[in-house]
Amino acid sequence: MHKVWAIIRREFVERVRTKWFWVSAILGPVLFAGIIVFQIMQSVGGAVRDIAIVDTGSLGYGAQIAEALGASRTLRANTVTLSSGVLDSLTALVESKHINGFLIVSDSLPTEGKAEYRASNLSLQTIEELQRTLNRVVVKARLQSKGVNPPVVDWAQALRVNLDQKKIAHGRTTTESAGESFILAYVMAILLFMAILLYGVNVMSSVLEEKTTRIIEVLVSSLRPFQLMLGKVIGAGAVSFFQFVIWGVSARLLISLRVPIARALGADTASAQTMTLPHIPFATLAVFMAFFLGGFLLYSSMFAAVGAMSSNEQEARQAQQPVTYLLMISYLSIIGLTNDPSSTFARTLSMVPFTSPIATPVRWTSGSMGTAELVLSLAMLVVGILGVTWIAARIYRVGILMTGKRPTMKELVRWVRTA
Amino acid sequence: MAEPVIVDRVTKRFADHTAVDGLSLSVPSGIIYGLLGPNGAGKTTTLRMIMDIYEPDEGSVRLFNDVAGGRTHSARIGYLPEERGLYPKMRVLDVLVFLAETKGVARKSARAKATEWLERLGLAERRLSKVADLSKGMQQKVQFIATVLHDPELVILDEPFSGLDPVNSQVLRDTVIDYRRQGKTVLFSTHIMEHAEKLCDRLCIIARGKKLIDGTLAEVKNTHGGKHVIVAFDGSQGNAQQIFADRRLVAKFQDFGQQAELELAPGADAQEILKALVESGARLSRFELASPSLHKIFVDLVGPEAATAAAVPGGEPARGGGARA
Repeated sequence: MHKVWAIIRREFVERVRTKWFWVSAILGPVLFAGIIVFQIMQSVGGAVRDIAIVDTGSLGYGAQIAEALGASRTLRANTVTLSSGVLDSLTALVESKHINGFLIVSDSLPTEGKAEYRASNLSLQTIEELQRTLNRVVVKARLQSKGVNPPVVDWAQALRVNLDQKKIAHGRTTTESAGESFILAYVMAILLFMAILLYGVNVMSSVLEEKTTRIIEVLVSSLRPFQLMLGKVIGAGAVSFFQFVIWGVSARLLISLRVPIARALGADTASAQTMTLPHIPFATLAVFMAFFLGGFLLYSSMFAAVGAMSSNEQEARQAQQPVTYLLMISYLSIIGLTNDPSSTFARTLSMVPFTSPIATPVRWTSGSMGTAELVLSLAMLVVGILGVTWIAARIYRVGILMTGKRPTMKELVRWVRTA
Repeated sequence: MAEPVIVDRVTKRFADHTAVDGLSLSVPSGIIYGLLGPNGAGKTTTLRMIMDIYEPDEGSVRLFNDVAGGRTHSARIGYLPEERGLYPKMRVLDVLVFLAETKGVARKSARAKATEWLERLGLAERRLSKVADLSKGMQQKVQFIATVLHDPELVILDEPFSGLDPVNSQVLRDTVIDYRRQGKTVLFSTHIMEHAEKLCDRLCIIARGKKLIDGTLAEVKNTHGGKHVIVAFDGSQGNAQQIFADRRLVAKFQDFGQQAELELAPGADAQEILKALVESGARLSRFELASPSLHKIFVDLVGPEAATAAAVPGGEPARGGGARA
């Protein structure tokens, strides 16, 4: 065990000493800080858009819309009367970015329910706001035409319903919204994919390095190949775990500092405080880590075998493709998984060991997986790891002392049988 | 003390050939033992089986009178493989400490010993350099330190002289002799007979996986006796070729250009050859009655096709196929 520990320590220390480890350790928080700053900047009033309203009629709907938009924090409207060439000059203003766009309404607005908005940049937020305002104006006009008192109409429209979304997950109502858990699941899946691929390939190149520098012969004269592989996989795994810890701690730190950051940027501190943060329950975190670990063990032992059967980087790149494709299946299914986490497709993926490390955390996070299913998925993964490691260790054992051409499939089978 | 290494009728077959075929040898304690053979004779395979890197198909290896393999005894064995290598990106001291740890040495004492060795071999100020930044000679020194850092009682060196310059060769020879003085056992393989002749107490010559002869250096020379004459020329060789070809005088000869080694024909007189040479106008710088050189014995035993390989010092060319399982 002392020997395996030496392997683990070397793997860990040498990797943490590399430049790229610290580059990615720093890049993570920088990216995260960027996201926070971006969110704060968006909430700062900077994004007020100027629009023009062209009223082609004489009933004053344009003015009414402009008045209704008066309370808006994101849109500022000016009414323009229609004259010849006005549309062209407004188009020119949009082109030169003096205004964001212009709305064309006619007297038939309350009867036909039609209006037109022309802009260079159709943001969803602007469209929604215009739509809502137009609806209010139309409803008001229609009610008035049937003799309803304007103050009554105003009173009726003053109240807005706030729909609070809550998600039922694992038999309990949680405080997170469905949207948040969608994003959380998505981010998790991407993180899992990247970490498994990155650190799996690391194990591969480490095995390859020992092979090409021939130091492997000294190592196997004092350690069993399996001990060596185990030490490598654990060492590389510890590095990725450390990376996650750095990211996690710095993310947590940045979140707790978001109010000072907002103040420094001159933004409304209240908006920073209410910034939506996905709430990550402990169970989700545990599932995430368990399946990351499982997926890492599974894939890195495959990558170790790939490194052992190749004799140079180029060969290894080719030989790793089947393993990468296997991982790609889960990556390409992320959208499908997050959209419908309880489909048969998603269920299947969360049971197959090669895809479950990504599929299961996604399904769990979206709340569409029971504990029984989770346990089954984990059990399948453990069986998968045992089987794959057994095969990989045999390939590794024979492969590490080989030089020359890459083994064929037939030879690989023989290695596994005879090793 | 029992013999540290006993190889008992081991055979190792690879997919398309038999590398070692029923080989037996035993290495007594406290001597320098040479495993000699031409390229592809099975030397490396034999050493790998001793080190428990390969498992023999037949036969067994006993180390320190125990059937448990080399890995079990790795703390008592220092092994320098034929294919050298270290982690190029690691610091010298870290590599040494790491490799000692894999042999079971505690981290702290590994550090102290490594520093001591680096000082002894003049590498102390390079201990924090990356291995890749060292010259080749320095890297070989580091590799050697890694082999002996844990103070093994048995040192197994596979082609230790290949790639060494004369100065480092001498350093290695001195160290090996020093080891024997300390009562340790050294087993090394080589295909360069000069090294073997100068160092070995006992030796074993193998070819095509089979043992041809073994014993002490004197025993081997006696068995392959016959009177030998070494002739060295100084300029003109006169009629030498013709005289050497005279089967009444010379049974066999090997011509090295400026020097030749002759095996006298039965009943022939060396003085007659000397006379004939001088009369033919040859200028001699040396004419010596000698026991056969190991080189001569080797070539006689192994066959002329191995002579070329054996005569070229400086390492076996890498074999294309490499190891096969």
